[in-house]
Amino acid sequence: MGRFVVRRLAGMVAVLFAVSVLTFLIFNVIPSSDPAQRMAGKNATPRLVANITEEWGFDESLPQQYLTMMEKIFSGEVISYEGREDVDERILEGVGPTFSLCIGAAVLWMFFGILFGYLSATRAGGLLDRVLTIVAVAGISMPVFLIGEVLLVYLTYKTGILPSGGYVELAESPLEWGEHLVLPWVTLAIVYVGIYSRVLRSNMLDAMNEDYVRTARAKGLSERRVMSRHVMRNSLVPIVTLFGLDFGALLGGAIVVEAIFSLNGIGEYAYISLINTDLPPIMAITLFGAFFVVLFNALVDIAYAYLDPRVKLGESAR
Amino acid sequence: MSGGAQALLSVRDLRVGFATEGGTVRAVDGVSFELAPGEVLAIVGESGSGKSVTAQTILGLTGSSNARIEGSVRLGETELLGAGEATLRGVRGDRVAMIFQDPMTSFNPVYRVGAQIVEAIRAHRGEVSKQEARQRAIELLDSVGIPDAGRRVDSYPHELSGGQRQRAMIAMALTLEPEVLIADEPTTALDVTVQAQILRLLGRLNRERGLATILITHDFGVVAEVADRVLVMHEGRIVERGSLDDVFYSPTDPYTRGLLDAIVRLDQAPPLRAARESENLLEVRDLVKHYPVRGGLLRRDSHSVRAVDGVGFDLRHGETLGLVGESGSGKSTLCRALLGLIEPTSGSVRFEGREIAGLSRRRMRPLRREMQMVFQDPYASLNPRRRAGQIVAEPLRLQGEARGGELRGRALELLGRVGLGPEHYDRFPHELSGGQRQRVGIARALALRPKLIVADEPVSALDVSIRAQILDLLAELQEDFGLTYLFVAHDIGVVRHVSDRIAVMHEGRIVEIGPADEVCERPRDAYTEELLAAVPVPDPRLARERHNVESE
Repeated sequence: MGRFVVRRLAGMVAVLFAVSVLTFLIFNVIPSSDPAQRMAGKNATPRLVANITEEWGFDESLPQQYLTMMEKIFSGEVISYEGREDVDERILEGVGPTFSLCIGAAVLWMFFGILFGYLSATRAGGLLDRVLTIVAVAGISMPVFLIGEVLLVYLTYKTGILPSGGYVELAESPLEWGEHLVLPWVTLAIVYVGIYSRVLRSNMLDAMNEDYVRTARAKGLSERRVMSRHVMRNSLVPIVTLFGLDFGALLGGAIVVEAIFSLNGIGEYAYISLINTDLPPIMAITLFGAFFVVLFNALVDIAYAYLDPRVKLGESAR
Repeated sequence: MSGGAQALLSVRDLRVGFATEGGTVRAVDGVSFELAPGEVLAIVGESGSGKSVTAQTILGLTGSSNARIEGSVRLGETELLGAGEATLRGVRGDRVAMIFQDPMTSFNPVYRVGAQIVEAIRAHRGEVSKQEARQRAIELLDSVGIPDAGRRVDSYPHELSGGQRQRAMIAMALTLEPEVLIADEPTTALDVTVQAQILRLLGRLNRERGLATILITHDFGVVAEVADRVLVMHEGRIVERGSLDDVFYSPTDPYTRGLLDAIVRLDQAPPLRAARESENLLEVRDLVKHYPVRGGLLRRDSHSVRAVDGVGFDLRHGETLGLVGESGSGKSTLCRALLGLIEPTSGSVRFEGREIAGLSRRRMRPLRREMQMVFQDPYASLNPRRRAGQIVAEPLRLQGEARGGELRGRALELLGRVGLGPEHYDRFPHELSGGQRQRVGIARALALRPKLIVADEPVSALDVSIRAQILDLLAELQEDFGLTYLFVAHDIGVVRHVSDRIAVMHEGRIVEIGPADEVCERPRDAYTEELLAAVPVPDPRLARERHNVESE
């Protein structure tokens, strides 16, 4: 276990380094991206531009600029070009809404994804299976922004049942927190429910043909026990992989959903920063997101070792 | 069974059909038999004979929703066909238990062996506590000969050896002291020495517990070792039934006679082959292949698995060297190293006097056409999306030997050489029978006119009757093309039948090498002896003699 952690930490450093270098380079090679020019405004004097350039160090070599920025990001001193706000602080503010959104949606999609997948697989070919298939395919096919907007129109603007957006701290009012998040949760979860239920269904159908399932029946186990203990357990491994990747990626910001419901989370911040070509927050958010992706990949590996005793941590599965 | 004792299990006019797009396929077509308490009934047949379907139907495990089942299966007073789920569940595991071919895949890999046995107990005896059930599991594992059962009970299936896994499977089947045990090819996936142990165990359980057993198998050797009575199945029907001796010594049905004649027997020497005095095609010296096992903080090689551990032998032009060994003996690694598919750790392989060990891929390439391989599983080793003709033509195309119409002509000729016709050219592998597929595999190996063919278990996946045909074909091709064979197999009987000389491999080394007859008749190595003794003899009288000698 210790060796595993050391190796993963080293891997994480390498990934974060590569991701940050790439992001930095991309923003320095795209055209019309002289930040000093933009910060100085439309009718700036060359002198002002030169001042800003010097003050922010835009005339230094790229590696030097990169190092300076990384140092500032990790010491919490990084300031955005646009609005000159404290980036790290702004990201921390976004953690509340983004994590609330992702965790709630994840609970929803895991519950319904697994439930629908299980029902579909155990009744494969039946009416319920067919209905769930249609629902899943519809959920996967509909774009997130469409689902979000449709829900907003019917549940907010026309009926006023739910608030139209924004975020209320959980500590402030748990009820309002939930009210504001119901629509974002559902919107985000729908796609994943569709995908997860389909993946689980096909994994379970494969597992049902395994010899050990026949053994389980031959022992005289009830059909429900055969399904839940022998078929399900082994079919969950790919679901765990998917979940680790999806959830890790979302913690770095669920851009579209956050934007639709003005949640003011990390994703929305990323969206605004991208529009403004505002490098410091983009760098910081990229690192933040990459950190969670790598973290959840490691957690997935640990979960594998737990779910399948043939897998040993730190070794590839054979 | 001739009247007398009350039948424990009685199957009457059983018919199982599977509805497919092409109409109903009759897998079992009017099968009737009875099983008396304490007897071992063997159901023998080749693949597709319906023997396994019969066994699974008894417990209602036929699974598929398009199966149409008619007839009657009575266990004592209980009718099992068409019985409700609850009735069947009560019978499964409790009164009739079943064990399967491959103990690796038949255990759920993610649960401990003990937990899977406990689960079986508690499914039927809810009142037994987990602790008691676990204790019972340990006792059972101990009684089927698993050493250190108290610790093994907490092992995962993959942590046990193949033999221990099947023992554990048998232990699980015995947990509730069933009246009937159905064993579906229980030793087919096991090494021959392990098979002998498992057969002895089954025999002992039958004697000590009076456990009535239905043994499903394709292997007449296994039948001769343990059965009291024999049913021979062919195309869903029983074509022969009788006592063990009747079926072996006076079979009435031509199909049975054909099957018995097709058996390749270890104890019957094949006609002596002319000794071959010729130059060496292949010279192997001190060949070593170690696989490092990674470990330690800095991923140093802490120790290694010695897959091939100092092997040396010669292979002469035109001869067949049989390479025998059980799983894990290193024979597959050896073959791969000889063919330059893996790089040996050290040692020398000379092909026609030229060193080929450690040659680069590029320099190895022209030599590849000289040495070809025939694989064990003809289905897995043929690309399912290519037609037989394309598969055979591929080596010619890759080496730029022929194209267009000429390529097709050459492929057709090759198919002809292995006994296939032009009508097979456009078939996909799944449209061919097992034997035909192996013929395609052989034609592919022949395409580039190699000098050496390494045949890795070429007949072990085939039915007995097909096996003899393929062996004959290989012998005929050897004559015609002057081929040299390295014939790898775990079945020493088959190896003796085809080989001039035999090499026995054990734990990465060749423990004995010599003329086939000598190795089989007068083995010098203790392991060779053990291997020979473990081979079941398809001859009930000899088997009994052997058992008597053993028990004295």
